[in-house]
Amino acid sequence: MKTIVKLMAAGAAVAALPALAQAQAHPDFSGAWQVSPYSASLTPSDGKPVPFKPEAKKVYDAHVAAAAKGDRKWDETTICIPEGLPRLMNINEPFEIMQKDRALYFVAQNRLPWRAYFNETLPTDVDPFYLGYHVAKWEGSKVVIESNGFRDNTVLDDKGIPHSEKLSLKQTYALAPGGKTMTVTTRIEDPDTFTRPWTATKTYKKLPASFQFPEEVCAEKLESTAPKR
Amino acid sequence: MGVLLKWGCGGAAIALTAALAAGAASAQTATREGGGGQNARPAPPRPKTLFNEPDPTLALTPGFGGANAPLKPRPGAPPNPDPKNFEGVWWLRGYEFMLGPEPGVPAPLKPEYIEILKRRIRAKNAGNPETDTSTRCLPHGMPRLMESPYPIEIVQTADRVTLLHEVAHNVRRFYINGQHPKDLKESYLGHSVAKWEGDTLVVDTIGVNGKSFIDDEGEAHSNKIHLVERFKKIDGGRQLQMVMTIEDPVTLEKPYSYTRSYEWRPDVRPSEYICEENNRNAPVNGVTVAK
Repeated sequence: MKTIVKLMAAGAAVAALPALAQAQAHPDFSGAWQVSPYSASLTPSDGKPVPFKPEAKKVYDAHVAAAAKGDRKWDETTICIPEGLPRLMNINEPFEIMQKDRALYFVAQNRLPWRAYFNETLPTDVDPFYLGYHVAKWEGSKVVIESNGFRDNTVLDDKGIPHSEKLSLKQTYALAPGGKTMTVTTRIEDPDTFTRPWTATKTYKKLPASFQFPEEVCAEKLESTAPKR
Repeated sequence: MGVLLKWGCGGAAIALTAALAAGAASAQTATREGGGGQNARPAPPRPKTLFNEPDPTLALTPGFGGANAPLKPRPGAPPNPDPKNFEGVWWLRGYEFMLGPEPGVPAPLKPEYIEILKRRIRAKNAGNPETDTSTRCLPHGMPRLMESPYPIEIVQTADRVTLLHEVAHNVRRFYINGQHPKDLKESYLGHSVAKWEGDTLVVDTIGVNGKSFIDDEGEAHSNKIHLVERFKKIDGGRQLQMVMTIEDPVTLEKPYSYTRSYEWRPDVRPSEYICEENNRNAPVNGVTVAK
């Protein structure tokens, strides 16, 4: 009690204490991360095939067949449309996490950022976003992010797994001892695309603290390949 | 350029800062459209054409105005009382099509760049505007990005202040007490280092490529442009003031400054802006800001 009285005398310092204590109680996911090893595929952790519904399997197979012929017109990232999630985290380019008490911020230069807010519930009836809507909560030393409200013209991985607007994700973030490796386990549910929910896991390596994101401009790549007008 | 690289660690840099601060002070006292400041003096009539020339092909687009209108009450959290905590969502007050030391007054451009500005104003007024980078879904460039009438979310971490712009998902990163790299690669938004001077965050930006326009009217800049922004919370934290000072030895006769402010908007969460889909006019909270 004596300590508390002394702290109260410190005035504004008291207000900062709860936030500080909360921040210290959780591991810090802040930093620049990159998927490692990279794979174009998002594959189920149980070793079984992706549980596609028949129509979705046809779409996926068509994507793979087209890509084998060099045709990626189905992939709207080729015209600078956002990747969607979880693909954005797995495209073999770095992204950054900024961890604050109110939210986790995910930012990759110069792509759409997304935010997972703590102490909130997911909205139910929303206009879909490319990167959806997200809420975060702590489960011990892990962060669990639940997401919904996705647009359906993205795919889940670089190979072209389709999804509908009913897609929902539950990602569990865990840091390995030492904090240099992060594991994200993603539960994927979409009753219009898959026969059952399935889970995939990716690992990420932390980039040096000195890493600075270079400016990366998707439209510039388009201009360099566009026919001259 | 040598002076710039020594930012924050040499006498030359301090002298430069003092010179820029002097310029900034004069800009701060300038009367903005609409008046209303404590030191408000009668505003001169805003030029309707470039340099008030009697030439309708040089008509200026006036912008949105409202930079000094009384603030509306906004639902949500009150501003953070810490003067050095800029976190949250901010929104530019007013909007100017042409940036310069006063509304309606162009930057002190060298004669050949005044001619470029005239050419671009005439092209716009003829209905055939020259396209700038933002029109082509490229980054807006600097300083144009800071004049975008869209929300900016600021996130502060130990060694950085990050600006997440809704417009075209531009991202600026200010490295606190950082240094510009010696092998700096040019980019649309440049490289920014910052330091605190009391409660003012002073941001120094170089390495901006010469591809973007300074503003919507079409003022040009070169890749030698050097920007110093002084950010400070004012009005009890309800506004973030930014004093911009611009040097460009290629295009400008002399440096100039102007002042802007951004309103604290706890009621706004940035939305998805996809230039490639031209969805820029999506209303926010029932209001469509971009015309």
